[in-house]
Amino acid sequence: MTAAVPNDTAVTTTAEQRRSYLQFDMLIIPLVVLLFMGIFSFHFALLVGDWDYWIDWRDRRWWPLVTPLAITVLPAVFGYLLWDKLRLPLGGTLTIFCLSLAAWISRYLNFHLLANFPMDMVFPSSYVGLGLLLDCMLLLTRSWFFTGLIGAFLVGLLIYPMNWPILAQYHVPVEMDGILMTVADVFGFEYVRTSIPEYLRIIEQSTLRTFGEAVTPLTAVFAGFINIINYWFWIWIGSLGVKAIWIRKIV
Amino acid sequence: MATLASSVKADVDKALSERSPTAPWAKFFLATAALLTLFTCYRFYQHATAFTYGLDFFSPEFQKYWMSLLYSELSIEVLFGVGAGLYLWATRDRNLDKIKPGEELRRYMVMMSLLLAFGVIFYIVASIYTESDAAWHQITIRDTDFTPTHIGLFYFGVPCFILASFVAFMYARTRIPQFANKLSLPFALLVAGPFMIMPNLGLNEWGHTFFYAEELFAAPIHWGFVALGWSAFAAGGLIVQVLTRVVQLTRLMSVDKAASAA
Repeated sequence: MTAAVPNDTAVTTTAEQRRSYLQFDMLIIPLVVLLFMGIFSFHFALLVGDWDYWIDWRDRRWWPLVTPLAITVLPAVFGYLLWDKLRLPLGGTLTIFCLSLAAWISRYLNFHLLANFPMDMVFPSSYVGLGLLLDCMLLLTRSWFFTGLIGAFLVGLLIYPMNWPILAQYHVPVEMDGILMTVADVFGFEYVRTSIPEYLRIIEQSTLRTFGEAVTPLTAVFAGFINIINYWFWIWIGSLGVKAIWIRKIV
Repeated sequence: MATLASSVKADVDKALSERSPTAPWAKFFLATAALLTLFTCYRFYQHATAFTYGLDFFSPEFQKYWMSLLYSELSIEVLFGVGAGLYLWATRDRNLDKIKPGEELRRYMVMMSLLLAFGVIFYIVASIYTESDAAWHQITIRDTDFTPTHIGLFYFGVPCFILASFVAFMYARTRIPQFANKLSLPFALLVAGPFMIMPNLGLNEWGHTFFYAEELFAAPIHWGFVALGWSAFAAGGLIVQVLTRVVQLTRLMSVDKAASAA
């Protein structure tokens, strides 16, 4: 099936042109938002998943390390599209806002209404500030290199502090059945799930428990360091993703 | 005189603009409303019967309420997929080189409407239906691959967005010159990624059956799904391809240029 691509124009007036542009705006903008909500939810669920689902999973060792690595992917990939092709510094804010919106809807419908967990236990963490930070850095530096070096580092560094005001109330110590634990731990023990005991046993291995007060900052700096390279890698993937590649046949 | 001329020009512009193509909004909203109703009804059904008849695969109630639903939805999906594919192929445009620019622009709008419908299904399935499965497996132990949430997610939701992306791809291949002449790699990836989720399901269920009964959602056994989901990153390339052609189709030619071209 071979056909020549016609070269004429379909519009003759500016009114027609504007009308056509509006049609495509109304088709493409909702499509992009829905795709961001779907892709980011799927990606985040299967890479971070439990660390964000449950209040007692948001620990100081893995949650601040796994989360920035996963949350930086879409801001980098689609940030490249939005900045390079449309000069919109919205990649971080828009994608992470879409994730947050989808997460709130899903936690309420699935974890609260279907599975009967209290929303206090399953609400999503707050991440939109990280997207704003990445976008502001891109707008100020206009450089993928410096946005990665400074912005992506700060994303890794600040995930925990940005959520600290929300998490603090769940880290208040309580005594239950003679055992000292946090309020978040009590949630975990009261609402039994299929996999939680294994996780509680393997968390904080080795010398972390006796490492003074430095566990969280240490994890945050490590996460920031890895996230710089992570951001640069996904920017490169984003630059591949926007290529308008045509091929003659698959094989 | 100048006022009259500008007034006439405005009337002509208005008349022409009213003839310019628009997306098939009525059909789109009707289809979206039907899809939302379908997915909502499924959700109500799940809410009403998953915990009462969906916990024990070996009970007669499970066979009645869930396995019959599975067989029905699989049959309908196969019939719809084959029917839509045959229809799009049989009614393909055999004279694509004679297509008028206005008609080509309209077809781009139809294709984008189909992709927007795909986007609606994709969001519902990738977010709400997927995490419904996450919540379910945290409170129940599986004794079958065909849990109530799997019957909704893998055998209803995922096939629905595979079909939606397939229909949009087939429409473009059979009706839009640029996509008929060459194969858009981003579009092909956007269709192939979701499609490959079904074969990857084999690994998932095999793994859960033999060595990984519990359901940590971030476990390595699920990373195949993530990699396939990343195929959607090619959406940017498809948008660039579409918009490049739309800009060509909607450029304004000056009178002199148009006359010389004629």
